[in-house]
Amino acid sequence: MLEGKFEEASLLKKVIDSIKDCVALCNFNCQPDGISVQAVDDSRVLLVSLLIGAESFSDYRCDRDITLGIDLKSFSKIIRCGANEDYLTLIAEDSPDSVALIFEDKNKDKTSEYSLKLMDIDAEFLEIDEMEFDSVITLPSSEFQKICRDLNTLSESLQIVVTKDSVKFASKGDSGNGNVIIKPQTNLDKPEESVKVDLKQPVDLTFGLRFIADIIKATPLSSTVTIKLSDKTPALFEYKLPSGYLRFYLAPKFNEDEEES
Amino acid sequence: MGIKGLNRLIADNVPSAIKSAEMKTFFGRKVAIDASMCLYQYLIAVRQSDGSQLTNEEGQTTSHLSGFFYRTIRMVENGLKPMYVFDGKPPELKAHELTKRTERKKAAEAEIEKIKETASAEELSKFQRRTVRATREQNEEVKELLKLMGIPYVEAPCEAEAQCAELASAGKVYAAASEDMDTLCYGPPYLLRHLTYAESRKIPIDEVAAGTVVEGLELTRESFIDLCILLGCDYCETIKGIGPVNALKLIKEHGSIEKILQVMEENPTKYAKNVVPEGWLYKEARQLFLKPEVIDGSTIDLKWNQPDLEGLIKFMCEKNGFSEERIKNGAAKLSKGAKSGVQGRLDSFFKVKAGSATKSPAVKKAAASSKVTKTKVKTSFRKGKR
Repeated sequence: MLEGKFEEASLLKKVIDSIKDCVALCNFNCQPDGISVQAVDDSRVLLVSLLIGAESFSDYRCDRDITLGIDLKSFSKIIRCGANEDYLTLIAEDSPDSVALIFEDKNKDKTSEYSLKLMDIDAEFLEIDEMEFDSVITLPSSEFQKICRDLNTLSESLQIVVTKDSVKFASKGDSGNGNVIIKPQTNLDKPEESVKVDLKQPVDLTFGLRFIADIIKATPLSSTVTIKLSDKTPALFEYKLPSGYLRFYLAPKFNEDEEES
Repeated sequence: MGIKGLNRLIADNVPSAIKSAEMKTFFGRKVAIDASMCLYQYLIAVRQSDGSQLTNEEGQTTSHLSGFFYRTIRMVENGLKPMYVFDGKPPELKAHELTKRTERKKAAEAEIEKIKETASAEELSKFQRRTVRATREQNEEVKELLKLMGIPYVEAPCEAEAQCAELASAGKVYAAASEDMDTLCYGPPYLLRHLTYAESRKIPIDEVAAGTVVEGLELTRESFIDLCILLGCDYCETIKGIGPVNALKLIKEHGSIEKILQVMEENPTKYAKNVVPEGWLYKEARQLFLKPEVIDGSTIDLKWNQPDLEGLIKFMCEKNGFSEERIKNGAAKLSKGAKSGVQGRLDSFFKVKAGSATKSPAVKKAAASSKVTKTKVKTSFRKGKR
């Protein structure tokens, strides 16, 4: 039996809003230490890996592994029925046909109960090995969101170039070009405003902006985003949760001449 | 054409081997397309509203040019890298099949002659479509068009599908694209169907994983080919009275056509209805599938070039009467497609595992019995427990 109570419904709402546009159906794997999800978009370019740790809940109990196959569009509609500040409790039996969502208003004596039918989803699973990255950037998530949105107006591709003392985001389009350069800085009063760059090796990678546009939907989840990059390998974009994380793995673009067959 | 009933047999027995997806999910993929099949397909399908073929001022057919131009562009726009393979000389074993096709054409022509006066335009067009055959000139025109478009092509020594499969096996392209199911016998990693259908038909592309098919049917490549021969291919006849279900059962039980023939000989009463063709050439047919005449894929270099706009306008507009604006538009799309980088995929970095292991027993049971695929999943809510 699964029973998980969120102090505020908004956390789950933000999580679902962050991933519902890139994956339609996914399995929520509920385990004693929390709920995890792995899902890949249809074209296998973007992978979502989510962990909502048990500490993200005010109460959490899950005695044995339960898989909830969820249609995110319908799930999102139900979550919208509750207010952001409501308590939200998820309840499912051991071999469930549906999951129950209970919203409790903190001020009024009001509870709303919904149930969502579950599905059998035959999803593929990608095995991700621990990776070593050449450079790791941490910056305010809202800053990253703005840069990507601005450069998205010019082109379909975003180039990220990390050198010793700066990170360059660039896009080249038919109508013009854009460059945004940020440098490491430490903000002692507001540590979340700091920009940190750990560099083992310079990198130069290009990504499809339409996938990045999906990634930055996770901005409300965390004040910072960490981007891990290595040459010619998928990049990792991580948004931290109070306990757990939402990670996106994104495959880069290649130029025709350097691509192997 | 193709293997009789194979598609159905796979859909029934190994549904997981077929995945339907929109064209855009194949971006960045190189595909080898059976051009001879396309040519035929476009000559039949690309028509004016009254059902007649497109023609230029001199009355020569241009349906094939329109088909190759616009449908190739649609693929490029979706980020695919298409290339084409043309048929060479047909294998000798196909002569019988080809004679049959010529006869069918003659019959259709005779029928047109008979009903010309009385039949409706619709009926006439039905028979006219049966008389369509691609000429050598049309083949050459398509090659010229592809060259101008910057799209590579290869001339196969023999069957185009076999060469497509060879290119895919050699890793030069991701998949072979053909409507002919016999392409699977040549063992490409993937076969794409419906890739060259008109966009307006809104038919998704089926990706058939050849390895999964063979594994799912619990066969080997050799016994799978034998199965296809039993079902009916272009190269030889079949044993009378053996349908798809029986063919699969017999192959699974005995492993090869030789063994099946032996068993039939030993139990003449049981198999009285099954007539084995005289001088049956199944061994030769099998050999054609196992060792087709192809150019070694690793020696072929594929290069996508920028389109030749001037040449395209001269060829398509001046000679064949296409609208200059549309051709220019198309060329711009081709040029953009040739320039943009190729999006990588996660499956080339991470290992893919089918299904997750942490399913509860009830779910496992349901998944096994209902065989849910991605497209069907919408309708399969979990129904009650146990």
